[in-house]
Amino acid sequence: MKKLGTIIRTVALAAGLLGGAAQAQDIRIGYNADQSASAVAELGTAGRWGFEAAIEDLNKAGGVLGRKVVGVIRDDLGTPPKSIQNMTELMDNEGVVAVVGPANSGNALAWLHLPQQRKIPVVVPIATGTEVTTRYSKTPQNYLFRISMVDREQIALLAAYAVKSSKTKKIAIIGDTTGYGQGGIKDATEILALHGVKPVAVEKFGPKDTDMTSQLAKIRDAGADTVIVYAIADGSAHTLKSMEKIGYLPTTLGSWGNLSSLLPRIAGPKLSEHIILAASTTEDSNARTKSLGERVRQRFPTMTTFACAAQAYDAVILLAAAMKAAGTTDGEKVAVALEGIDGVQGVIKTYNKPFSKTDHEGLTVADFYLARWKGGVVGRYEDAVTKALTPADLKK
Amino acid sequence: MVVLLQALFSGLALGGIYSLVAVGFNITHSTTRTFNFGQGEFLVAGAFVAVSGLLLIAGKGVTDPLEQADVSMLAYGGGMLAALVIPGILGVLLYLTAVRPFAGRSGLAWVMSTIGFGVLVQNTALAIWGPSPMVMPSPLGGEVIRIGGAGVLPQEFLVLGASIVVMLVLDTVMRRTRIGKAVRAVAENRNAATLMGIDVSAVVIGAFVVSSALAGLAGMLVAPITTASVFMGLTLALKAFSAAIVGGLDNPRGCMLGGFLMGLLEALVGLWHAELREIAIFLLIIVVLVVKPEGLLGRRRVEKV
Repeated sequence: MKKLGTIIRTVALAAGLLGGAAQAQDIRIGYNADQSASAVAELGTAGRWGFEAAIEDLNKAGGVLGRKVVGVIRDDLGTPPKSIQNMTELMDNEGVVAVVGPANSGNALAWLHLPQQRKIPVVVPIATGTEVTTRYSKTPQNYLFRISMVDREQIALLAAYAVKSSKTKKIAIIGDTTGYGQGGIKDATEILALHGVKPVAVEKFGPKDTDMTSQLAKIRDAGADTVIVYAIADGSAHTLKSMEKIGYLPTTLGSWGNLSSLLPRIAGPKLSEHIILAASTTEDSNARTKSLGERVRQRFPTMTTFACAAQAYDAVILLAAAMKAAGTTDGEKVAVALEGIDGVQGVIKTYNKPFSKTDHEGLTVADFYLARWKGGVVGRYEDAVTKALTPADLKK
Repeated sequence: MVVLLQALFSGLALGGIYSLVAVGFNITHSTTRTFNFGQGEFLVAGAFVAVSGLLLIAGKGVTDPLEQADVSMLAYGGGMLAALVIPGILGVLLYLTAVRPFAGRSGLAWVMSTIGFGVLVQNTALAIWGPSPMVMPSPLGGEVIRIGGAGVLPQEFLVLGASIVVMLVLDTVMRRTRIGKAVRAVAENRNAATLMGIDVSAVVIGAFVVSSALAGLAGMLVAPITTASVFMGLTLALKAFSAAIVGGLDNPRGCMLGGFLMGLLEALVGLWHAELREIAIFLLIIVVLVVKPEGLLGRRRVEKV
């Protein structure tokens, strides 16, 4: 009996050593985002396959620092507790050296302190809440970076378009009562003020509401010819349906959450083409986006949220570039290197000094453009107004 | 004026849903003095069973996205049958496991056990269909119909029409048939009903089947308007329960009236201030409970000593 115990212990020890050795050789990067639960799950799923495509490409090119890169995927079900649990598991048990995620800003805000304490860099590929990268910006080293469409920057573009396209300068804002919608309403009001425009109406609806006819009637009666809707896909879809019900279809602008296929599925193909949304990239942007789109679609055939795949892809590429520049995977050095990298070719663009000590946003309003649903896919949207927009219009 | 008409239509459609569920509360309450606190989850079951039924009829997997082309009127009928039968069976299980062991005894064990049964149903739905909402197209399509300038979705008419028909049938059955008489006899006095040769346990099980099937039907009818979601039940059931309290829990017609009142109140208050809707509803409940505790159409119970 004693002998058996010794054998087991020896085997376990050997296995542990071997496993440990394998882990030490591979560079492990975590991915933690909602891939199944909330209305952003489609964004998280697209991000996941973009993340894996980037790792595939890195390994094809010989890995990073001569080591193989391994992705560790976790689904946070859109809930903060699960997201926190995933983060501790990834960092403490799986030994990841960097994390890409999450999709929900609320989840990010729930665990920001964990990677910050452990000095593990995080590149956020989806969540857009402004505070995600700014909470620790005053500390000696902020470990939170982002390649996504920050709410305020999206709204800068939407507001610029609204002000330029509105004939009467009567613009209204409607948003859901969650932190996301309320933050959007606040940002939109502030940015419109920079343009010298005061919204003629500001309305709210509950995140589960399906009938916004009364709020929209008030907006219509206030004379608005342009409406900014700040909600995720299902809320925006019900808003569009309510607009149709009361026969009021003003110029409608929305956030990139409307990339989710829930929008055309709830609002129908015709109405979904009415809303103009902000996007960082679409599949028809260039040859790189087209090829990534095709690759991701093999794994996720119904993908409509391409921007997330591209952003997650670039997040991994930038992390890899920083590790190469630092010559190590040590989190502290990689974070410093991220702030210094330059001329890194991603899918969305070439990142020339994407981050600095004080600014951890890799994409800004200058990288964004407007997009629209057409025949079941999202493509770039252009009209006389978008062509007339100048950098000076993009106030923020 | 058009705005008012718009609110009226929205309110009536939603009111129809509340009424169906509220009548379900009435049926079990009048026969057993208990009701299903997990009724909301039976709406969830109805909605998802219907979506999956439609998918199966269209020859797809039970969790695939449902397209407009898959929802013909005939298929919708099939889905409706499933949304009545499966929650109905769940109603029997609910009665046998969560109500019968506790009904008639002192204490509120049945409150906890019916909530628990609802949690079981909800989590089973979560395991099968996942937490993301499922879109269910209406069999009548999504084109808005214009009436006096107000826009109404065809499904809203279907909801209103179906709930009125179901309630008229129920009302007739309760008042004109022997079955209805038996149910009313059990409600009045169980022992006397037994002595008169009425199979009380059959009536009681029937009451739970009908109540649960009504919730399933309501879930299926509302799904094309709100999308089917595992979390849709609680709010709807809570408002339906409020409707039953306001209208009178022991009077089926009162429950129907209460349901429509709630729907209309919600829509009309929304015209004024959208965020005050819930406040208005629960204020109304408090007022009714103070002024007329038995509900608008309820009968005052006089206990003779």
